[in-house]
Amino acid sequence: MQDTAPVYRFVDERLGIELKSADAATELASLGVDSLSLLELMFEIEEKFGVTVDQDAAPPRKCGELVALIENIAAGKP
Amino acid sequence: MSARRVAITGLGMVSPVGATAQASFDALLAARSGLSLYTPADAPRPLAVPAGACVDFDPAATLGRARANTMDRYSQLGVTAGLAAWRDAGLAESPDGNRDEWGVAWGTSLGGTLTFERGHRELFLAGRDRLPPLTVVQAMTNACAAHLAIGFGLGGACTTYSVACSSAAIAIGEAMRRVRSGAAPVMLAGGSDAPLAFGVIRAWMALQVLAPGDEQTAANACRPFQSARAGLVLAEGAAALVLEDWERAERRGARIYAELAGFGESCDRSNLVRPDRDGQVRAMCAALHDAGLQASQVDYVNAHATGTREGDTVEIAALAATLGAHAANVAVSATKSAHGHPLGAAGAIEAVATVLALHHGAVPPTLGDAAGLDPQCAGVTHVIGSARKSQRLRAALSNSFAFGGSNAVLAFRAAA
Repeated sequence: MQDTAPVYRFVDERLGIELKSADAATELASLGVDSLSLLELMFEIEEKFGVTVDQDAAPPRKCGELVALIENIAAGKP
Repeated sequence: MSARRVAITGLGMVSPVGATAQASFDALLAARSGLSLYTPADAPRPLAVPAGACVDFDPAATLGRARANTMDRYSQLGVTAGLAAWRDAGLAESPDGNRDEWGVAWGTSLGGTLTFERGHRELFLAGRDRLPPLTVVQAMTNACAAHLAIGFGLGGACTTYSVACSSAAIAIGEAMRRVRSGAAPVMLAGGSDAPLAFGVIRAWMALQVLAPGDEQTAANACRPFQSARAGLVLAEGAAALVLEDWERAERRGARIYAELAGFGESCDRSNLVRPDRDGQVRAMCAALHDAGLQASQVDYVNAHATGTREGDTVEIAALAATLGAHAANVAVSATKSAHGHPLGAAGAIEAVATVLALHHGAVPPTLGDAAGLDPQCAGVTHVIGSARKSQRLRAALSNSFAFGGSNAVLAFRAAA
């Protein structure tokens, strides 16, 4: 997956967060995104974009960590 | 009569006729129908039936997208109504004191049936092996109550009642008992259902109790008490009430809409679907007795009346038997004619309509025409076609009668 723009649009659609412009240090929980929301989001990204998210990786807690996760997925990194 | 009285200090609703309790009540008074021809999303084959859908409901707008995505639609509707009731009562959303004894009592008939149906479609039709991770916690029947308790920090009892069409009325009645007994100073009570799924509609069609209709007739497909009635119309929706110890409500200067004065229950003990006059009479008499009300003090009844041939006549017979000679003076209407039948949420939506009727002194009508009333449904004062306003209403009943024979009746007294 080369183009991550559709993923960010999807995240915005599902969570109401413009990740690219959000402060990297912002806690996802403060935006109403809890562990269940993230679990569902990862599943949806896998299904929609045909990628695999490392189930053993620590779940992102901040906006910047979620951006890094998406960029890693796009780069084919585990 | 109990020592503690139960005040209703907050109301919330999302219904096919309005996005709030007051907007819904205004629509009911204006005799506006919320019914239309409905096609379920993702229906595998063409299907269109009259239904009451909350077409303008935007869960992301009230709950935020992230939070809304963790919920089945029945919880989205319910949490939105609960949030509205909570704010209406002037209660802080974050705990501003000890809420260890405050609780939730919720009613739903089908809970997360949309989530289950989506899962079945994925597994059996699309051939997938994976389901979304939140399937269980979205679909579980107590999800909505749990979301409400978590949202407001309510640490007392958090219970869900699933008793078909009496679900929410029983939840409200049980919540009243907790406040009355002193077990909880404040309870959030109500119900929600989102049954407009392909499989659910097909199941109800198989039972042959749904009213037919097309684009032109769907809005008036539900015709309780009328000769031309042809069945019920399924709907979705939610409503919530904040129940509060009366003295506590007065101390904090809360607006009190009405008193929830009594609750009566019974079982027909005879048939799964055929209503029984004597069972309904037992529930209404129990509610009146519990409230310390005489039949002659009842000025309005929000009937269960779904628009089925047998159900409506049995309810009128039960009203006549319960209220005696006074029945002829009692205003009776069936608001399902406008909002349809939201199954487990019906008792909450109709309870809110009844409370607002007492509060405003205005009776919402059954949609239809007096000339079309079924003579077999005579014996009460039908409010049909247009509202009765500027009424002095002392007390009112809201009836809920479920498949399975479980009857639940709530008795309200005007606050003044």
